[in-house]
Amino acid sequence: MMKRHKQRNRWVVTAAALCCLTIIHFAGDRGFSAGGGNEDFDHQSGKLYKAYDAVPEPYLAADSGDRNLAGFYELRQYPGSPPRIPHPLDLTFKGNNSDCLACHAKGGYSAEFGKYVPVTPHPENSLCYQCHTQKVTDERFVPSTWQSIKPPRLGLSFLAGAPPSIPHSLQLRENCIACHTGPGAVVEIRVAHASRGNCRQCHVPAVQQESFSEFRRN
Amino acid sequence: MMKNKGGSEVTMKLDRRRFIFSAAATSAVATAGALFPGISFADWPKITTNSGVVSWQKAPCRFCGTGCGVLVGVVEGRAVAVKGDPNCSVNKGLCCMKGYHSVQALYGADRLTKAKVRKNGEMVEVPIAEALDLVAAKLKETRDKHGKNSVAIYGSGQWTIPDGYVASKLFKGCLGTNNVEANARLCMSSAVTGFMTSFGIDEPMGCYEDIDNANVFITWGNNMAEMHPVLFSRMLANRKRRTGVKIIDFATRSTRTSQAADKSILFKPQTDLAVANAICHEIIANDWVNWNFVNEHVSFHKGKTNIGYGTEDHFAFTDQDEAINFADFKLFLADYTPEKVEKISGVSAKDIKYMASLYGDPAQKVTSFWCMGMNQHTRGTWINNLVYNIHLLVGKISTPGNSPFSLTGQPSACGTVREVGTLTHALPHGTVANEHDRQMAAEIWGVPVENIDPKPTYHTVEMFRALDRGDIKFMWIQVTNPMVTLPNLKRYRNGALKDDRFVVVSDVYPTPTTDVADVILPAAMWIEKEGLYGNSERRTQHFGQIVNPPGEAMSDTWQIIEVARRLGFEKQFPWSQENYIEKIWEEYRRFHTGPQHEMASYKTLTERSGVQWPFVNGKETRWRFNPKHDPACNNGKEFHFYGKKDNRAWIWARPYEPAAESPDSEYPFWLNTGRVIEHWHTGTMTRRISVLHNAVPSSYVELNPEDAAELGVVNGESVKIISRRGEITIPVQINGRGVPPRGMVFVPFFDESYLINEVTLDAFCPISKQPDYKKCAVRLEKT
Repeated sequence: MMKRHKQRNRWVVTAAALCCLTIIHFAGDRGFSAGGGNEDFDHQSGKLYKAYDAVPEPYLAADSGDRNLAGFYELRQYPGSPPRIPHPLDLTFKGNNSDCLACHAKGGYSAEFGKYVPVTPHPENSLCYQCHTQKVTDERFVPSTWQSIKPPRLGLSFLAGAPPSIPHSLQLRENCIACHTGPGAVVEIRVAHASRGNCRQCHVPAVQQESFSEFRRN
Repeated sequence: MMKNKGGSEVTMKLDRRRFIFSAAATSAVATAGALFPGISFADWPKITTNSGVVSWQKAPCRFCGTGCGVLVGVVEGRAVAVKGDPNCSVNKGLCCMKGYHSVQALYGADRLTKAKVRKNGEMVEVPIAEALDLVAAKLKETRDKHGKNSVAIYGSGQWTIPDGYVASKLFKGCLGTNNVEANARLCMSSAVTGFMTSFGIDEPMGCYEDIDNANVFITWGNNMAEMHPVLFSRMLANRKRRTGVKIIDFATRSTRTSQAADKSILFKPQTDLAVANAICHEIIANDWVNWNFVNEHVSFHKGKTNIGYGTEDHFAFTDQDEAINFADFKLFLADYTPEKVEKISGVSAKDIKYMASLYGDPAQKVTSFWCMGMNQHTRGTWINNLVYNIHLLVGKISTPGNSPFSLTGQPSACGTVREVGTLTHALPHGTVANEHDRQMAAEIWGVPVENIDPKPTYHTVEMFRALDRGDIKFMWIQVTNPMVTLPNLKRYRNGALKDDRFVVVSDVYPTPTTDVADVILPAAMWIEKEGLYGNSERRTQHFGQIVNPPGEAMSDTWQIIEVARRLGFEKQFPWSQENYIEKIWEEYRRFHTGPQHEMASYKTLTERSGVQWPFVNGKETRWRFNPKHDPACNNGKEFHFYGKKDNRAWIWARPYEPAAESPDSEYPFWLNTGRVIEHWHTGTMTRRISVLHNAVPSSYVELNPEDAAELGVVNGESVKIISRRGEITIPVQINGRGVPPRGMVFVPFFDESYLINEVTLDAFCPISKQPDYKKCAVRLEKT
């Protein structure tokens, strides 16, 4: 247990909040999963390389301008929370793998919505409705005093002109390609150099956090 | 203080519910009609002063019995975010929609922050000390006037371990009444009696690692995809990772679990008893019996039959076991050939043989999962026994992947109710009927042994009947919402509203239960206090206080301590607010000394994301009864079922008997009730989480499309559901996420605006006393 605790500190310091969608079906059998996957998210770059290999370069570089950061956060309760499903689902929606992943595993253009589809960074978690909710009403049961926090600032660089750091946790979001490239990506976080796939050659995880205090040592 | 419960007051009490009902009716149209309003943005106010620095602290999730580890993000004293705890072996970093948004449940605008007492029929805010004075005075007055068994406490599997422990200590140890029950009676007492009758010791022998090791999963009346989604995902991940992994959904209605399964097999309600016996029949007929295992580790038994349904007051039943042999058991099974059972159950003989072949194939590792479907069953103890029978005949138990696994629905049903023993017959170790157990409790509690009454009093349904009859006049309800969850609800609500019944409710939000209260005590919720839960796999999980409770809200444990001290039990409740949880844990832990149930120290628990007991010499026990893993095994054999005196697991001959109430010409439909993934229990928390409420804002009734066509209703129209007890009018959902077979309707029970339990029947398993919420007869009328 001690050992695992230290490991956690390592990845967790890299942690926090933001992106979400992806491209490609990759490595479903080896990625993190609720059952027995690798717990060290910082060690899952394989997903990234596979995604990079699998996505055609024109798609990586394509830009539709369909999605922006405001819309991205509107679907979330706090930076990093699972987004709601922003489009209608009829009552027969069963949440089968094929229903969601048919579009969200690989991306592409949806004639139904007239937009490019965002891609999930974690298609290995196929029980999508476990975390992602539908929305059938805007009403609240009772008012709430919930307050969120400000999302991380974009373009955080330590030196002028240096590559920005990664301002969010890698947990469930190890595959940069999914959210940061392609026509389904949010424009503000789309990279300008989508033809490069070794993202963490230049971008380092840097999340402003207090040191972890969840384990009280007496 | 006498309560004035005149007509005007009842009206006043119900005003809040009416308001909510009208709101719900509006959103029901949206749900059922599948309308989709424009997206409105989650434009929550932001904490503006923070620098983006979030501190993260561990806790077990507040909701179901899975016991996921979460990391709660805190900014300036407010919980602002959640991540799955990657160090928690339960969920390894993944949560479900309830877990991810759980912290929002702390911030409903209608949090109870001040105590309220009824004065001249009105609920009036008072300082909490004054309310606690009144609770203590009223408890004492009632006890003096009407005897020790006129006062009761009713808690839940959402009680933390210290909550339940101090409740038991005060009521059983100090006040001398066994009037201690918890809503876990409604949730998993059949699982307990199943374990006790088959193994002589409670709680699963396996653990969640079985999910990574099994090849075959059979879900018995268990919609895991919605109810235990994190474990279900782990099952799906196993199937994806390996070849030949199968999931069989054996259920009474088609659900998301059926859709994800490799095969969905539907059976008629209650006939799971017959099918389980038919599976055993097939295993024996094909000689798939694991004889080495059976000869060494199993003994055969039968009990009473035609055991009744408990629908009448003062119903009593005691089972009588009789030893039989394998030949007797085989003879008993002669009635359960697959062909005969096909006629009872509607399951084809072919499918029965298929299930038997999966259990019987020595190459397959089989894990069976169940929860409310088998436990909320008038023969709940029996069906638990019967599934164990199957696993025992083929020796598929207590080894990785071979696991009959009883899941729980509340975060500490195991930790608090089963292990602390907050049920009328139980003590933190053993039962009140056992002299040795009473002596142990008296010694640890520092009370005279005569204080502890050897006779159990009322199980939950009978306790509320006693409140209705007037045998109980004072009841303290903590962390649960019986005025939504009790079956045949009208009787029990009217009982609670009667003159000279005094009801104290500790809760975090107004509910239909606070509506009947004479005193409302505002409670600290979840991470607003320190506590411990115990999940489905014998895992004890500590959490510290992470944020402050609002207003005068106080932990349930401390409320009980305050009242105990006012009653003169300072000696038994001497702890300070600084370290009472630690002190209580270390006192409680003494009850479980020994290799069968040793618990981790407070210090160890604070350092880890949960520890599985027995925890001996610094080592957790993954599989009990298996000497490779379980330090309590000492017979030198491959397995040791040490719970029973004969050191064997017991196979029970238990017949099929019909449900308490089956459809007939007057009431031709089965009524089944349950949950949806979005909402937990009675929705008092999840409905205050906008994301979840926006997804399922109100309850509905699932109809089979053909039944709907015959009735002439379409999605969103309302029907009246009528039983012999009551009726509700509720919108229809057809071909939604769940589809019942013809002749069955299903209603989620979370919505206080549609109190389906006014329709359900208070029949229960005579052995476990757990009601059956899954079966009663109703008729439908188009409105």
